Amino acid sequence: MHAALTPPYEWRELVRQLDEVGSMSLPLVAIAGAAIGAVLAMEARSSLSRFGAKSMLPSAIVYSVVMEMGPIITGLVVSGRVGAGIGAELASMKVTEQIDAIEASAINPFRFLAATRILACILMLPLLTLAADATGVFAGWLTQTIVEPVSLRQFINSGFNGATFNTFLPPTFKTTVFGLIVGLIACFQGMRTRGGAEGVGRAATSSVVLSSLFVILADVVLVKFILVFFP
Amino acid sequence: MANKQDEIESGGGAVVLAVENVYKSFDGRKVLNGISLGVNRAETLAVLGRSGTGKSVLLRLIIGLTKPDSGSVRIHGQDISSLTLDQLGDVRKKMGFLFQHAALYDSLTVGENVAFPLDHHRREMARSEKSDRVRQLLAEVGMERDAGKMPSDISGGMQKRVGLARALALEPEILLLDEPTAGLDPISSGEIDELVLKLQREHQMASIVVTHDLHSAKTIANRLALLDKGNVVIEGTFEDLQQSNIGFVQEFLKQA
Repeated sequence: MHAALTPPYEWRELVRQLDEVGSMSLPLVAIAGAAIGAVLAMEARSSLSRFGAKSMLPSAIVYSVVMEMGPIITGLVVSGRVGAGIGAELASMKVTEQIDAIEASAINPFRFLAATRILACILMLPLLTLAADATGVFAGWLTQTIVEPVSLRQFINSGFNGATFNTFLPPTFKTTVFGLIVGLIACFQGMRTRGGAEGVGRAATSSVVLSSLFVILADVVLVKFILVFFP
Repeated sequence: MANKQDEIESGGGAVVLAVENVYKSFDGRKVLNGISLGVNRAETLAVLGRSGTGKSVLLRLIIGLTKPDSGSVRIHGQDISSLTLDQLGDVRKKMGFLFQHAALYDSLTVGENVAFPLDHHRREMARSEKSDRVRQLLAEVGMERDAGKMPSDISGGMQKRVGLARALALEPEILLLDEPTAGLDPISSGEIDELVLKLQREHQMASIVVTHDLHSAKTIANRLALLDKGNVVIEGTFEDLQQSNIGFVQEFLKQA
């Protein structure tokens, strides 16, 4: 924390990490979001038809994607791609003494390596979540329109009917906590690696497994928090 | 032991680096067993010994990457174990460290690696001035044409040259070299030795070179210290080692 909050700030490295976490994860997150939107549309259509509530389909898709599926899918995709990437990168740097070299150069490795990566994860997760939400809703519309043509405008108006900022903002910003979890775990696993190539593999694996698990567990707590404070 | 410390302290005030009665163990295994050494300005001390005798641990203690169990490491008389992180950083800026495998940052080019310390500690330097300095450092080590290459594109010997250039970026007073010729062929080893000699002549740094290469130590060092089982068995010139009748010393010279 001290390293992250005190100067000198590593702006160049932060920008590089924002690019790594954000733009490199965007295609994967967008595709995952689209897949979820399509699946939701197919499943929800089938279920809602049974109860004669097909007209609720746009709202069902939008609310499901924005309030839960978008954030959790983004968190899990990023914990896989970014968690493994950061864990392996820092582990590799650890076993090849690059982190020692940074420290020997009178540069705080926690400030330069860990704080920048953690902050990048925290800042980029909400933006990636918005991208997943957008592709999820779009794919949901596309799936629906193939079966029963409806204009995108009509779908969105119907879907967002009655929604307020409280609908979107808390679920989107809960992903900052996901970002903190992914960044912290991956940096911790990477920077304490021992044991050569085997250690690097272990660090990457444990980064993914632990960050995915803690993202899911955190989601339980955060959903409860949101329901209480943003009813 | 007291004599050794007196000797270090009475070096005419020219002692830049002093290791005083340092002990270090890992998992109950004693690696350094009361080591005392001193290095003067513009002097090179070679620390020799078999693999696993704590030579690299000694360098890590000097740069502050590890703390001794007891004893002290003094840079210009200041005990580094009592320093805060910021104060230790100020001391580290006066030291250059060449790691055994160069430890180049593999996401940066050769030029960016050498510029790395300047980017962080000479922020006031103009970009053109920084580029000139990087070019000059790379030229000193014969790598001026390879600034745009990645570390994975160059050989081990070339990586060591770049590592040397990076270690010299902040014009250090003290240079620490961990096995600079390890893993290199005899010709490349000779080139590294000549390079280190040239740089020492030009920059007048106090240097500690950790090596198991006796030929390299003879070439570049003013004094040699031979370690065994965590102790300094003998310290002196190469001739002192040759004239010693300590069995381990003779065995080491014979096998080297």
